[in-house]
Amino acid sequence: MKIIFKNIFSGTKLLFVFIILIEGNSLAQTYSITGKVVDANLIPLQGVNVVLLNTYFGSATDENGNYEINKIPLGSYTVEFSAIGYERIRKENIIITDESISLDVILKGIAITSEEVLITAGKYEQKKSDLPVSSEIVYGNIFSERNFSNLEDAIRFVPGVVMTEDQVSIRGSSGYSRGTGSRALLAIDGLPFYTGDTGEIVWEMIPATELQRVEIIKGAASSLYGSSAIGGVINAITRNISDEPKTIVNGFYGVYDKPYYNEWDWSGERRPFNGLTLSHSNKLSDFGFNLSFTRLEDLGYKQDDDFKKYIGFLKTVYNFTPSSSLTFLANTFNKRAGNFLYWKNSRNALVPPDQNLGDRIETNRYLFGLIYKNLIVNKFLLNIKTSYYRNYFKDNETNPNESTSNLYRGEVQLNTNLNDFLILTGGVEGSYSKVNSSLFGNPDAFSIGLYLVSDINFNFPLIVSVGLRYDYSKLDSLNGSGAVSPKIGLNYKLYDNLILRSSLGTGFRAPTLSEAFTSTSTAGITVKPNPNIKSENNLTVEFGVNYTPFTFLNLDLALFQSEYYDMIEPGIDPSDGLVFFSNVVRARIQGYETSFVIGILPEQLSLSLSYTYLWARDIEKDEALKYRPRHIFYSSLDFRKWNFELGINFRYTSKVEEIDEELVDLGIVVDGDLRVPVYTTDIKLGYDLEYFQLPMSLYLNAKNIFNYNYVELLGNLRQIRSYSFGFYLTI
Amino acid sequence: MQLKNDTSYINYIIAALLLILFFYSCDHGIEPRAPESSGFSGTISFITPWPDSVKRSFLVVFENPLLEPTDFTIENLKFLSREIPLGAQSHEFSSLDSAYIPPDPGPFSSGSYAYVAVVQQSTENLSLARKDWFVSGVYYTNGDTTKPGTMVIPESTFVKNINIKVDFNNPPPQPPGGN
Repeated sequence: MKIIFKNIFSGTKLLFVFIILIEGNSLAQTYSITGKVVDANLIPLQGVNVVLLNTYFGSATDENGNYEINKIPLGSYTVEFSAIGYERIRKENIIITDESISLDVILKGIAITSEEVLITAGKYEQKKSDLPVSSEIVYGNIFSERNFSNLEDAIRFVPGVVMTEDQVSIRGSSGYSRGTGSRALLAIDGLPFYTGDTGEIVWEMIPATELQRVEIIKGAASSLYGSSAIGGVINAITRNISDEPKTIVNGFYGVYDKPYYNEWDWSGERRPFNGLTLSHSNKLSDFGFNLSFTRLEDLGYKQDDDFKKYIGFLKTVYNFTPSSSLTFLANTFNKRAGNFLYWKNSRNALVPPDQNLGDRIETNRYLFGLIYKNLIVNKFLLNIKTSYYRNYFKDNETNPNESTSNLYRGEVQLNTNLNDFLILTGGVEGSYSKVNSSLFGNPDAFSIGLYLVSDINFNFPLIVSVGLRYDYSKLDSLNGSGAVSPKIGLNYKLYDNLILRSSLGTGFRAPTLSEAFTSTSTAGITVKPNPNIKSENNLTVEFGVNYTPFTFLNLDLALFQSEYYDMIEPGIDPSDGLVFFSNVVRARIQGYETSFVIGILPEQLSLSLSYTYLWARDIEKDEALKYRPRHIFYSSLDFRKWNFELGINFRYTSKVEEIDEELVDLGIVVDGDLRVPVYTTDIKLGYDLEYFQLPMSLYLNAKNIFNYNYVELLGNLRQIRSYSFGFYLTI
Repeated sequence: MQLKNDTSYINYIIAALLLILFFYSCDHGIEPRAPESSGFSGTISFITPWPDSVKRSFLVVFENPLLEPTDFTIENLKFLSREIPLGAQSHEFSSLDSAYIPPDPGPFSSGSYAYVAVVQQSTENLSLARKDWFVSGVYYTNGDTTKPGTMVIPESTFVKNINIKVDFNNPPPQPPGGN
């Protein structure tokens, strides 16, 4: 195994040879459907889903309203166009004989529909209304509109999702484990994106301005994605490559307001932050690319919490034939930052303890990926994905903590629509990671997984999804372990506007190298290794109903329950007082989630509300799981008219019941027990300069407008009030 | 359902949201906490039976490490508790409890304290002579039992969980100057 992965570049050459061999066998002629989608005023519509019904072919329109569906075999199709706020249109009997066709449509605005397409739930395009599980979509435009430079900022407003600093919890799946492990899998264009040492998600590395949309699947998804998908999957989909040369300049500048209490004003000034992205996209014959560079700088409202980040992103696509393509992804990240861990005390809430003053950290990360797609004999879609993810960080302690990890992944996936009623998705994937670290030692790990999922589409109309996955993983010298993850899901359309869904899925998560081997002491916290740690498992059940009583109103209700076994949580070993990760918790998470989307004035004013109730308990100790709020409420009010837009977002989570009390009792985090419910309100104003024939939009954002002081993690005051100005220029 | 009714219903929702915003705009969440009295507390666990020879036992806190016999001074001894009940299996203590040293309970000075221990005496009367003290348990930090742990009390902080195990059959290394 080691020899294979040490020769990764040799392996890449082999992949090319393999691709060429496959090319020789791929003689089927395919075609494409292209076109433009506009509204009643002939204004191009972005984000319209275009799908060929009863196939896995689909696409979405770009910012110019253009779409392109490639690699379509000969045949007769029904093409469906749908978007939130617009009437759904179906073009039937579109016959492809011997040439590609163009199909333009005009969508008439209505208040709301629920037709959206996701590729994450089944690893191929599916309508959201066909899924047996709860899902959400975050569209890429909000990153520039709301000056979100980091994907985690947007995830904070997804119903049922809570962030504790940089750790995501989908319906209570996670608490806070100090940057180690994750119970949600993040992927970029389908490539899993977790580090080889800690298994953590590095949100800040994702190029936010390059995202077309982000798909979130809630609940255990290990039957398709394996370890880490125990609580759900978040898939960041990058923008399509533009047919015409296109340059985007996106920038913002802002300041944090003064803290609410004068005694917290450690700097005596309003601390600024700014960011600039330059992006270019072009297509030259069969070759196209997206290239972007982002620089972010924040002087920090907290002392020693400043940073400079540089994010590079390259996506190239080469079409060998109309039915096959090779995509190359490169994502680089450099950060130099202060290393603020927790406050000195509540009277000095924005400065670190004296002994941590001046702590800094530098990080370099690289992700490279290759995705090969080929439609074989019109029936089989082959997908081969390989990736290499390197992480390095070093702090400035007297004895510096330094760590390097290398993660290699590969996956071969095959989709086939054997007939109009059955789609099969199967694959095999493997990974190998090697770590050299002063924190974790020099361990390695590997895993391999096999999966098969079938989606059966009955006429009644019922969709049944059945899947099974087997994973085997081994961490260095520890015993290897296997896990079988079955799932079954049902989607039944009782009426056109009333959809029932239900799923039962299992998940598992292998411990990360850092959970097993960490040995470090920093800022008064000492972590010890646990060589006896083993995988955790869960079983998730969900029942959901989606109802659209009127075209301007959509309601969704989901009841869910997850049983966790051998849950891995950080804790204190009572025998020596050290922090370690262990399988100590038998947990149960129950709850319900409701959401309402109301189009008050068609195409102008909409309101969305969501509420989640979580009952997350350690049932051995009969107490709440740490860092899980019981009540989560998000709302947004959006108004758009005359090139002007206004948005108000409100977020509430109840006060978490349990935190790491030990860190408070021992005086490590002074006043760390201070916590309150979270209330934040953001306001956005936007104006499109289209009226002045300028391809530019301007945005003003005020975040946390009431300057409400709260923590997600003990001793870490979240962002105080800030104001920013941004622009989005397309050339 | 009439559209008019729908919009009036929505108006109620928006009004309710605005009302919530108004109320919470008056609340600014976490605020600086008034300085707390500094001090410490914890639990002593006696994991083996008390020997009959023990006449009395105390919790002691020294500011500086006991490296030489001369370090055992009344100036260095910052806390000397009242007697721990003989035969107790567990004993909770606090710097706010009445003690021999300091004589008046109250805030305990913040800082670092290098030696926190449970001591026993076999003399008939309370003695402050080093030779009459025998250490039966020591406070350790970070699981390091090779050397005594330092109790750190940050400014205005009451430190909890200063826990000590006492195994009369396996006492810790004794500071210099004893018998």
